[in-house]
Amino acid sequence: MRIGIDVGGTHTDAVLLEGRSVRSAVKTLTTADVSTGVFNALEHVLSDSGVLESAVDAVMLGTTQFTNAVVERRQLSEVAAIRIGLPSGNGLPPMIAWPEDIAESLGGHTYMLKGGTLYDGRPVAELDHDEIQSTIEDIKSKGIDTIAISAVFSPMSAEPELLVAEQLRRAIPGANITCSHQIGRLGLLERENAALLNASLLKFSDQVVSSFGEALRDRGLECPFYISQNDGTLMDAEFVRQFPALTFASGPTNSLRGACELTGLNDAIVIDIGGTTSDIGILQGGFPRESNIVIDVGGVRTNFRMPDILALGLGGGSIVSEDGLSIGPRSVGHDLVREGLAFGGNTFTATDLLVAANKLDLGEAGQAVELNPEVLASGLATIKKMLNEGIEKMMPSSDPLPVVLVGGGAVLVADKLEAASEMHCPEHSGVANAIGAAIAQIGGEVERMVSYREIPRAEAIEQISAEARTTAIAAGADPATVRIADIEETTISYMAEGSTRVRVKAVGDLASSNREEPA
Amino acid sequence: MKKFGRESLADLSAGAVFLATGGGGDPYVAELVAQQALEKYGSVDLIDPENLDDDAYVVAIGGVGAPTVSLELLPSIDEAVNTLRAFEDRVGRKVDAVVSFEIGGGNSLIPIVAGAVMGIPVVDGDGMGRALPEAQMMTYPISGVSPTPAVATDYQGTVTEFHTKDIMEFEKEIRQCALSSGGMITSAEHPMTGKQLKAAIVPGTVSFSIELGRLLRKYRGNAHRIYEPLAELFSGSIYGDLFHLYTGKVIDSSTRIVGGYDIGAATIAPFDGSGAELTISIKNEYLAAEANGKVIASVPDLITIVDYETSTPINAERLRYGQRVTVFGVGCPSFYRTQRALEFVAPSCFGFPFEYKTIEELNLSN
Repeated sequence: MRIGIDVGGTHTDAVLLEGRSVRSAVKTLTTADVSTGVFNALEHVLSDSGVLESAVDAVMLGTTQFTNAVVERRQLSEVAAIRIGLPSGNGLPPMIAWPEDIAESLGGHTYMLKGGTLYDGRPVAELDHDEIQSTIEDIKSKGIDTIAISAVFSPMSAEPELLVAEQLRRAIPGANITCSHQIGRLGLLERENAALLNASLLKFSDQVVSSFGEALRDRGLECPFYISQNDGTLMDAEFVRQFPALTFASGPTNSLRGACELTGLNDAIVIDIGGTTSDIGILQGGFPRESNIVIDVGGVRTNFRMPDILALGLGGGSIVSEDGLSIGPRSVGHDLVREGLAFGGNTFTATDLLVAANKLDLGEAGQAVELNPEVLASGLATIKKMLNEGIEKMMPSSDPLPVVLVGGGAVLVADKLEAASEMHCPEHSGVANAIGAAIAQIGGEVERMVSYREIPRAEAIEQISAEARTTAIAAGADPATVRIADIEETTISYMAEGSTRVRVKAVGDLASSNREEPA
Repeated sequence: MKKFGRESLADLSAGAVFLATGGGGDPYVAELVAQQALEKYGSVDLIDPENLDDDAYVVAIGGVGAPTVSLELLPSIDEAVNTLRAFEDRVGRKVDAVVSFEIGGGNSLIPIVAGAVMGIPVVDGDGMGRALPEAQMMTYPISGVSPTPAVATDYQGTVTEFHTKDIMEFEKEIRQCALSSGGMITSAEHPMTGKQLKAAIVPGTVSFSIELGRLLRKYRGNAHRIYEPLAELFSGSIYGDLFHLYTGKVIDSSTRIVGGYDIGAATIAPFDGSGAELTISIKNEYLAAEANGKVIASVPDLITIVDYETSTPINAERLRYGQRVTVFGVGCPSFYRTQRALEFVAPSCFGFPFEYKTIEELNLSN
């Protein structure tokens, strides 16, 4: 049995899964110290289901804490940024074009060294050991123990980064180090930024992992726990201590994966309807379709993998115009329960349309809403029109796909949408995020630049796939279930024929000795 | 003489991505470098080609190589400046102004960097009016300007000289130099007099790109309303009319062989599934658009793809399955429609088995 927990800004949701069925689900409030909220959620699902602590194989957590830390500039450590690449790139040092406040939070310690490699593996310059030594001495003298290392073309040749990291570890025992090749793709600035953000979160990550561990132990759980990352796969506690930044944007991924699990649909459109927005994403082969654009995290440009999400300003609290012809993007948000007409307030919201149409019964909390029939009809039509247009924009082909509704506002859709082949609003859809976390798989990804002239294409892909499998297994995947989930090839234009960037992702089920296999 | 300062940089860059027709790479790093140069050295003078003295000495400067490489081997102010200085040393005289190879993509910004640091004007115009992949496709050599004397420098400051007057040979040599230097070099080439330049340049494209970028910024988030103002801007320019070719989503991208060339192809389908699909052929740039088995636009006319929601131009490396896009076609500057220019830029030069027909002919005749 597994427990999935989603730690959101306002709610901490939890589910207890037995195989694929939900034994218990709960929505609790997120607490200031987070671990109390996690404890409460655990307490609820365990006592509600009567399941013994020893029957739980693993706990999976989805969390927005690391994204929030970057956005709010809190809990960030000072970091020394070492870039290996001179004489190239001297004009654009690390942290260039960062918002000042976050650069200051990291202390602005930057070092640029000779070295790195070219696209074909030749060195940009030879490493200078005296230069490396004096850099390490300087970092040590400043009392900094957190370091991010980047090097030119490190996704294809990691040695310069690894060598400097090794020397740093020897000189500064216990140093927290992130190497850019471990966390980002081609694009030095974006990869370096990702490494810097990750390094700045390492100490906080240590605390978060420890406090999750404590919350579990306090509730009598001895099983391992995992945290979900933005590609829908899991990291074990030790991995999160090293790569907290990989949790960025895991929320939408978990809700898409949860929708997949709740319906059994691998290809579908998922609409996560909240109080303020409807987030539309696409499930392809059971995983979210990824966005290709550069992702901004707290004002810093990164190239993390993120799901492709279209956010519409339409939620339960969205404000409706008097004639019903336009809805949102303004919303009363959490104040819906005071301001909405159905709750005795004075603001005309999307929820009121549903109540007036007798499609939603708020029970004792609500009251009847009287609307002009024309306004009501046009308001309901506006909701459908917005969602239909949103779906059409996201649809991967002209063939209509099933639509899965999840999130607290799923009730907003009372009728079938024309753009959908069929509609699903499964039981437990309100806690799809926690379910998505609970069922997440273990993944491994490897990216390399190869020349198909030197290594035949099939052989190159084979080699990289083998590395990806090894990475996944090292991260905790059951070797018997590991499969290649994605192969992406990008030819580098104008370059010697056959120079191609290959990225392979392997995923597998969590290896566990006594876990019940999903039916 | 106009002043070009930091405030126009983002607009120039945005317009340049539109005019790059899918090529030219991500101009982000070039933009950062130009910003530093303008911050440190102040605005640069943007000179109308007509105001150049006939005997002024002008050189074209820009990057040659794989745009992807500049995302790792980051460009710098020094590289542009060292290239220009090395050029001056080799020819033994000062350069009076610099000019761009191509207004499309990051190469629109390198003359700005060199001009700002050296305190010399940048000519308002370029040698393509868009982005194209090879040196012989520039208006300068087609107009009879010799590519050399030319110099290129790499990230280490290594200087390579070029002496061939044959443009095809020059293209081969400089491409080889870029490859052996790590994938990207900066080149100062096609030196010309003011008189030669006036006959060879696509004029006014820097100012035009700024205006275009400003318009894109103004209408950001609204690809529905952008067509009319865009059409108006292009109709009053050295470019031809703007055509809305298509709106839909990318449903496939693959590679196919066209006349021995490795050409990528993207297929775009209507949102509602009804009507013909559009196929865009890609070799660095968007080269041809076909619907119902008929070509509706092709190189040297411009084909550009913008994001349906934000009207942000999308370059070819970023085009992918599922994206929602609007496709525009624009007539090219008249220079490229001459027989002499078509020898270097006609569809057949890229391996396509069809003749060039203007975008007006293809879209207004039936």
